[in-house]
Amino acid sequence: MATIEKPRIAEIPDADVDPVTVDIIEGALKSARYEMDAVLFRSAMSPVIREQHDEFPMITDPHGRMVVGQFGAYINEMMEEWDSGIYPGDVILTSDPFKCSASISHTNDWLVLVPIFYEDELIGWSSQFGHQMDCGGPLPGSLPTAATTIFEEGIIIPPLKIVERGEVQQPVLDLILNNMRLPEVNRADLFAIIAGCRAGEKRVMELCDRFGKNVYLATLQKLLDRTYEAMKVLIHAAIPEQPETFEDYIDDDGLGNGPFKMKLTIWREGDHAFFDWSGTDPQSLGPINFYLSEGMFKMFIGVYLIMVNDPQILFNDGFYPLLHVVMPEGSMLRPRFPAALGCRTHALARLFDVLGGALTKQAPELNTASGYGTSPYMLYSGWDENGEFFYSMEILYGGIPGRPVGDGMDGHSWWPLFENIPTEYLESYYPLRIDGYTTVTDSGGPGFHRGGNGVEKRYVYLEPGQVSVHDDRWLTRPWAALGGLPGGRSSKLLVRADGTEEILPSKIDQVEVQPGDMLIHRTAGGGGWKDRLDRPVEVVERDVSFGLVSREFAKEGYGVVLNDDGTADLEATERERERQREKRGPVQPFDFGPPLEEVLANCRSETGLEPPVPATPLRWSPLEPGDMALERVRAGDGIPAPE
Amino acid sequence: MAYRLGVDVGGTFTDLFLVSDIDGRQWRVKTPSTPVNPSQGVLTGVQQICERAEIGVGDIQNILHGTTVATNAVLEEKGARVGLITTEGFKQILHLARSQTPGPLAGWVIMIKPDPPALLSDTREAVERMDARGNTVVEVDEQQVEGVVRDLVESGVESLTVGLINSYVNPKHEETIGEIVERLYPGFPVTLSAHVLPEFREYERTLTACMNSYVRPRVADYITQLQSELKHVGATADVNILRSDAGLMTLREAERNPIYGVLSGPSGGVAGGLFVARNAGFPNILTFDMGGTSTDVALCENGEPTIGRETTIGQFRIKVPSVSVHTVGAGGGSIAHVPELTRALRVGPQSAGAEPGPAAYGQGGEEPTVTDANVVLGHLPPRLLGGEMELDVEAAHTAVAKIGDAMGLSVEEAAEGILSIVNENMAGALRVVSVQRGHDPRDFALVAYGGAGPLHANALAKLMGSFPVIVPPAPGLLCAIGDLVADFRDEFAQTYIRVLAEADPGEVGSILDTLGERADGWLSNEGIEADKRRISFVADMRYHRQGYEIPVSITPDEVREHGLDELDERFNVLHEQLYGFRMPDTASEIVNLRSVGFGTVPSLELPTGEEGESDASAAVVEEHEILFEGSRVPTKIYDRNRLEPGGRIPGAAIITEFDSTTVILPGYDGVVDVNYNIVINETR
Repeated sequence: MATIEKPRIAEIPDADVDPVTVDIIEGALKSARYEMDAVLFRSAMSPVIREQHDEFPMITDPHGRMVVGQFGAYINEMMEEWDSGIYPGDVILTSDPFKCSASISHTNDWLVLVPIFYEDELIGWSSQFGHQMDCGGPLPGSLPTAATTIFEEGIIIPPLKIVERGEVQQPVLDLILNNMRLPEVNRADLFAIIAGCRAGEKRVMELCDRFGKNVYLATLQKLLDRTYEAMKVLIHAAIPEQPETFEDYIDDDGLGNGPFKMKLTIWREGDHAFFDWSGTDPQSLGPINFYLSEGMFKMFIGVYLIMVNDPQILFNDGFYPLLHVVMPEGSMLRPRFPAALGCRTHALARLFDVLGGALTKQAPELNTASGYGTSPYMLYSGWDENGEFFYSMEILYGGIPGRPVGDGMDGHSWWPLFENIPTEYLESYYPLRIDGYTTVTDSGGPGFHRGGNGVEKRYVYLEPGQVSVHDDRWLTRPWAALGGLPGGRSSKLLVRADGTEEILPSKIDQVEVQPGDMLIHRTAGGGGWKDRLDRPVEVVERDVSFGLVSREFAKEGYGVVLNDDGTADLEATERERERQREKRGPVQPFDFGPPLEEVLANCRSETGLEPPVPATPLRWSPLEPGDMALERVRAGDGIPAPE
Repeated sequence: MAYRLGVDVGGTFTDLFLVSDIDGRQWRVKTPSTPVNPSQGVLTGVQQICERAEIGVGDIQNILHGTTVATNAVLEEKGARVGLITTEGFKQILHLARSQTPGPLAGWVIMIKPDPPALLSDTREAVERMDARGNTVVEVDEQQVEGVVRDLVESGVESLTVGLINSYVNPKHEETIGEIVERLYPGFPVTLSAHVLPEFREYERTLTACMNSYVRPRVADYITQLQSELKHVGATADVNILRSDAGLMTLREAERNPIYGVLSGPSGGVAGGLFVARNAGFPNILTFDMGGTSTDVALCENGEPTIGRETTIGQFRIKVPSVSVHTVGAGGGSIAHVPELTRALRVGPQSAGAEPGPAAYGQGGEEPTVTDANVVLGHLPPRLLGGEMELDVEAAHTAVAKIGDAMGLSVEEAAEGILSIVNENMAGALRVVSVQRGHDPRDFALVAYGGAGPLHANALAKLMGSFPVIVPPAPGLLCAIGDLVADFRDEFAQTYIRVLAEADPGEVGSILDTLGERADGWLSNEGIEADKRRISFVADMRYHRQGYEIPVSITPDEVREHGLDELDERFNVLHEQLYGFRMPDTASEIVNLRSVGFGTVPSLELPTGEEGESDASAAVVEEHEILFEGSRVPTKIYDRNRLEPGGRIPGAAIITEFDSTTVILPGYDGVVDVNYNIVINETR
């Protein structure tokens, strides 16, 4: 047996770099990161990456700290367990969230790591992951809504070398692809991700050629320090010393259990901020757990603070030591193996809702309401008339919340850079026809800035097959802030070719469809921001003339009374607004709609669906008490409790 | 009698270049542009140049014209009110767009969504449906459509667009609706999406068609005005407009499909730069056009510009064949600033614009700009030779000192920092068009123009390894030369989505033949003689279901004789070159077949001088100590008008002319070639 060599990890010199060089290298790294995206989009095959841009790049320093990118550190923890050596030309692949500190959060995400060597030293990593359309398992898409363990979610690839010193490990690749429904798509996407990483690697090496390795490395430290200092300022501005708590719900886990609470408490101790998820419900039996890496969550917080405060800052790992995240073991955010993880987009979106809600209390004018709150999917598969397997998967969008800068967009994506799939693409490759693609009138929550409308997409199936849908916010509403109203809820209606109608739950698999059946897929709207009764009358007129708001809702939601020609009756409007103001009383910081008990009690009559029932805790994964989780984090991060 | 005139209307100046095809004599004129009514400036210029050449306006046979009327209509949001007719169920197509919000995470928090070119209140649905194979699912309900058309036109829209689902496969329904419009309102401008862009992806096609409708009335007005004014002074010339892909189109075509000319201005610069460089013996170039607020770069290989399938204008991606010009918000007016939070030096994208302009212009600007940094370092001499403007050196110092104070640097260090950052931003743009598309920038020469291009070109070439730097004389003139040397060019496309194994070579061949005949018919209509016509063919290809296509050259005969294997191989080789891998087990497929018709125009002789002695000291007007990379270097200032071919200019040197200044860095030297270009290389 050959001995395993540890790579020589480059030292980061404590050298001075002139500030302009720092800025130049910063700019070059930003370009490199966008080049990684560009390479991947252009050569990937599945529409999920290519048309919808479900992928994430990053470049790290020698210690695996992200210097530029979008997902955050994990490499160090992963490398502690690693015993296969690291050499130039290696490519590491994994899809196992439990073996990479949850840097990826379900098995569909294939994470690729490329070590960057310069003068025989490891100077960083180029890494990227992308969502595979399918990765095996019982159902196309590998996201069964009824999965109860990760073993039902396709092949689980532990961290391994898919390329060793430039040689593709063919037997390993064959083994993986042999488990796929559309192996050529997985192969193409995998090599596209690798090509993206290689582009990042190449740019980093060029920077070392140009500036010298030591200047390059010293600059990385400067960039990390710069973000650290900037974030200190933001933390002081955004995080209150007194604990603030916010909670919200995921409606159900796909197995009839729910709703599931997510609860966050934030506070500040000096320069340090705490984000404590104690009080969040235990992990679910169904696949809605969101196994959240600490680094990823810190990144989310950082990006959010930067975006609402000063979008110019380069985002990187530098500020991580300032943030302390408490996630009790056995909770939805820290589920134990072998929890099912496939449908984690609901919790991912809710996490931002809760984070935004908690921060709103400190800076109400800077934050937003909440949006459609998930990534709704539609999957359709079967065998066409020639006996060929087809499988399409699409992410839909919904109402963006009302925001300080303006209305929430109608039918747009809350996740960055995702795109919808053109109808002409769907119709030319899959046996379906889109009867309509529009937004749901009145589903945007009224506000001074209106929440966006949800989307309505009508799919007519042309071949027998099976359909899955994933959605949330069918029960609880996207909340509003500072005097707005919540957004409208989602719904799924299956209209059979003979005209009979079936209401579908928001999370369901294996619905048999026949030619001519139509699915009406409606997503939720966004909540409104600030006082809906102050919205300028002419803006409401315009919304009505655009068909985004109905005449009736203009009155009900905004107190605007319209004449027959579409212009407002100003006197009647003033009277109506006065009447509604009196009825409403003072403006509240949030509006969640009716209380949860009432929502559950009215569930059947309002939605046509049975209400979810409270979940039974799992015997094999007891919930760690909140105070113990906090102690664990304090001890680990070296931040003792204040006297 | 054969005189040809190139006319480029820029933001500040209108440049004209007249050539006689009989004896090759040439004349140039530069007049101020007249933005409110651009035809005014053109007319003034035409009269001036004819006087100078001592010919009648009627002697000009061809006027070849680059115009920014369409561009400005979009950028200034002053286009027409557009009505849109969509398939039932798709009224919100432009409103939903591609549902995209910008990165990074939470980018939606600050996104500002632009109003689309057709408002929702001016959008109606038509009852009809075509399937993805081009079969009618629902016939056009003519009565319903008549109602919709009446409703829109009576409500006051100025221009109509029809954009229906799957019209790229079969445009019949769009055409039916077009006929209904013509029947009800003869002559009313209507754009059919499948005619403007017969390609799939309904949003992009509809948007492009609506943009066409948006600029159409303004371009039509301009053309009508220009024609009548030219006629008034006795001109009988054929007028042709430069397209975004640096080809020419007739006025009639420009009136119908003005969107094809939306990048007319920049494409003229690229075509001119390429022509000059080709003459100088450099067929592979990067063009670098740096103006006041932005910089345009493009890559040309083997003497041809790179033509892309889409371009971005304002906030919209438009799918029209265009010279692949990449734009960054970095120019002479770009403002430097130091955000409090990070203490980083940022330059742009905010610009001081023309008003108030850089501090050095003395018009009240106080923010430090790139121009001010150049003034502080002495790269821009305080008195511009031939220019009327005196630069306010003190104001520039005061402005740049703000950056120095914020960063703890001297004013000179701050100025050098500003230049380094802006150069890096522009190098990023050059990387996008070169390395990101699989080209090595060291294989390319850099052609610099625009007001500030020659100031920064040497530094940029140093970053990219792109030598020589070629600085043609009179940067404004370059665009007029581009107009003059452009070929007639048009594309004819048909979407034909087939995996190669299922494609019938005979069918591919006959589709290509038909497309070729259409190109030939068009050239003949344009009055291009048979021996001046050239037709090339392209298949847009990708791996099955991949999202982007790569254009692969093809000919009908080759397909008939050898089948499609050769095409497959060519595609795989290109894919590997661009993306670093190929997928031997994955089927490749054709998405579009295209023909491109070229009608060549008579060539042009550039002004040529006799090569003289290498000593250029006669052109030296001053000598200063100027800062380069932290040290003061004795630097000679040259008057470009006094430089003769053969003259050698050792760096550091600064060369001034009427509308631009060239910097040669220490360690480099410039040589004036026979066409009066300054060619800069590393000193051997």
